[in-house]
Amino acid sequence: MAKNKYLISILALIIVFAGVLAGCGSSSKDDSKSDSANSGAKSGETKNLTFMFRGGPDEQKAYTAVIKKFEEDHPGVKVKIVTTTADQYATKLKASIAGHSVPDVFYYDPGDLRAYVNSGVLADITQYVEKSSIDINNIWPYGVNFYRYDGSVTGQGNIYGLPKDVGPFALGYNKTMFEKAGIALPDKDKPYTWDEFIKVNQELTKDTNGDGKIDQFGTGFNVNWMLQSFVWSNGADWLDSTKTKVTIDDPKFAEALQYFADMQNVYHITPSVQEAQTLDTYQRWMKGEMAFFPVGPWDMSTYEKLPFEYDLIPMPAGSTGKPATWLGSLGIGVSADSKYQSDAAELVMYLTASKEGMEQLVAAKVQIPNLIDMAKTWAADTSTKPANKEEFLQVVNEYGRPIPGTQTYNAEWYNLFFTDIQPVIDGKVTAADYVKSEQPKMQKLLDKAIEQEQKSKK
Amino acid sequence: MPTKSKLYRKEMIYGYLFLAPPVIGMLLFTLYPMLYSIYGSFTDWDGLGQMNFIGLDNYKDLFSDELFHKAMFNTFFMMIGIPIGLVLALLLAMGLNRGIPGTTTFRVIYYVPVISSLAAISILWQWAYNGDYGLVNQFLDLFGIKGPNWLANKHTVKPAIMIMAIWKGLGYSMLLYLAALQSVSRSYYEAAELDGANGFQTFRAITWPMVKPVTFFIVVTSIIGGSQIFTEINIMTSTGGPEYSSASAVFYMWQKAFGNFQLGYSSAMAVLLALFIFIVTLVQFKFNEKSSGDLD
Repeated sequence: MAKNKYLISILALIIVFAGVLAGCGSSSKDDSKSDSANSGAKSGETKNLTFMFRGGPDEQKAYTAVIKKFEEDHPGVKVKIVTTTADQYATKLKASIAGHSVPDVFYYDPGDLRAYVNSGVLADITQYVEKSSIDINNIWPYGVNFYRYDGSVTGQGNIYGLPKDVGPFALGYNKTMFEKAGIALPDKDKPYTWDEFIKVNQELTKDTNGDGKIDQFGTGFNVNWMLQSFVWSNGADWLDSTKTKVTIDDPKFAEALQYFADMQNVYHITPSVQEAQTLDTYQRWMKGEMAFFPVGPWDMSTYEKLPFEYDLIPMPAGSTGKPATWLGSLGIGVSADSKYQSDAAELVMYLTASKEGMEQLVAAKVQIPNLIDMAKTWAADTSTKPANKEEFLQVVNEYGRPIPGTQTYNAEWYNLFFTDIQPVIDGKVTAADYVKSEQPKMQKLLDKAIEQEQKSKK
Repeated sequence: MPTKSKLYRKEMIYGYLFLAPPVIGMLLFTLYPMLYSIYGSFTDWDGLGQMNFIGLDNYKDLFSDELFHKAMFNTFFMMIGIPIGLVLALLLAMGLNRGIPGTTTFRVIYYVPVISSLAAISILWQWAYNGDYGLVNQFLDLFGIKGPNWLANKHTVKPAIMIMAIWKGLGYSMLLYLAALQSVSRSYYEAAELDGANGFQTFRAITWPMVKPVTFFIVVTSIIGGSQIFTEINIMTSTGGPEYSSASAVFYMWQKAFGNFQLGYSSAMAVLLALFIFIVTLVQFKFNEKSSGDLD
């Protein structure tokens, strides 16, 4: 009898398992049924779109408002909004792709464009963009090119999304601090040389209340986001032009990295060693204890409430004599599996290229306008903070570059550079030694990424 | 075969019906993904579409992957916290078992971290460990010690995370020990007292063997949990710490899978980690079988 019981439980298990499998099978059948039903849907039926994005509270509020407006303008279309925090977004999106339930419209990082196109996740929206009333030439070409791909090179070919925004990274300075110290304000058209930059920082780094502790600093940059500017303006880069070779062993690269580390270890214009964590320097900037700090458009709503005046200037220029910085972007794309691709594309264009949508987003101070004509009017208004908004546009038009990690199939090789960098920042390893030892490791990962890309194309 | 009553069969069916939900859940959400992951570990799956069989290539690559070795080392290193937590929990439980006033209050205090969200706790500790304004360094400052920037220093980041993990798990282990201690029959201690045993002897010969099943349980679950440490690391050191000094095996897996389109490779790591946990647990069970029954 005991044996019999055992048999029954196994039987039960099998039945359950079969039921589960059958359940899966039938549910997918149902899906395909509803698919065909929907494609033949009458115009009266509600079309449900899912939009997944990320952003801070201000940004979420702004986007929710714009989407509400979109729904009003497009009767019959309902948009379900899914938001996540910034650090969870990539995981959630990739899980949804692996699970074959990609949202109709979603943000994606331009670095992932090739992977998503090669594997058929993103829909080609070229036809919708061409048919629509939007003027593609009125959107920053740099931004649109992020989302063009012809099957081998990005930057040209069909459109697989539009930029949610472009994110120029400019340098901000504490105007009030300069005025108090009686130092001439920085020139908004002429970047500091590296030597000048150190000098002005040294003048501003001091103990203001006489307690023997330095409480006002020149700057305090996070290497992850600021090193690019110094490297590029010194004529070096992470990658060669073919995007297949890691070029950090260039002496000019080492020079820039050394300069960056020396700000802390030699010139002492930043808070003490081992404080590259932005939390500290960001808080100091917000409290008005720091002369220079990078500013992105997404900071504008927060910086409205700063207890001091701030404005924008170009990044300090290295041996090329020209400022350099990165220009980020986040794309909004349409799922290739979306049932309502044309409506989804419509939503993308509404969010990125329509006057109505853009006006609301810009008013919320979460981004700079995507539309060139609107951006010009916006920048010309110097009555709102920061006065020199023009600097953002110059980054977009003239000297901004994409982050090197987004130029390859994945960013593993690039991230390794920053994973291992702490000893250089702490002054324990020289920049020259570091780039020499790190280059082969990064090259190995880059080779792997290239190999992966080849495979994904098959 | 004896015939069974209708009632018996009916009850049996109900029984299986009640069993069904967890069993289905296990099959669907544990067994199926697990088998899929094992299969995936032999492929170059990128999580998007492509999934070609490549045999043992992923496993071969793992042997020469420095970051994987580093991540595994970090994971093991942070397990040093397990015995420390165990000893502290037992000491606390023994202290609270003496019936000192305020036992309930202390129990609550020690148990609060256990029921708090790990993500929230990680954020709080991240602040506490801040080099400039952090509570930890402010406290050390009272004694004239200049604390490091805990999470930005490769030598202190692992101990920092361990301390937090111990603090978080202490209440749980303590409660288990407390329950075990309270179930030890008084008569053993009385007999020991009559025999003139001192405190240490009592502990070694009675308390320790009596709470051994609990110790075993805590060690096994802690090692399994410790192997899978991720949330703390992801939140407190979002890039895996300076020079990858705090990255755990699961953290590395997650980066590879969701950051770099290498789900196949990650699956191989997951399989190795699962094998490791399985073997360690098996060894522990064998070991426990051998040494149990001391008191008989």
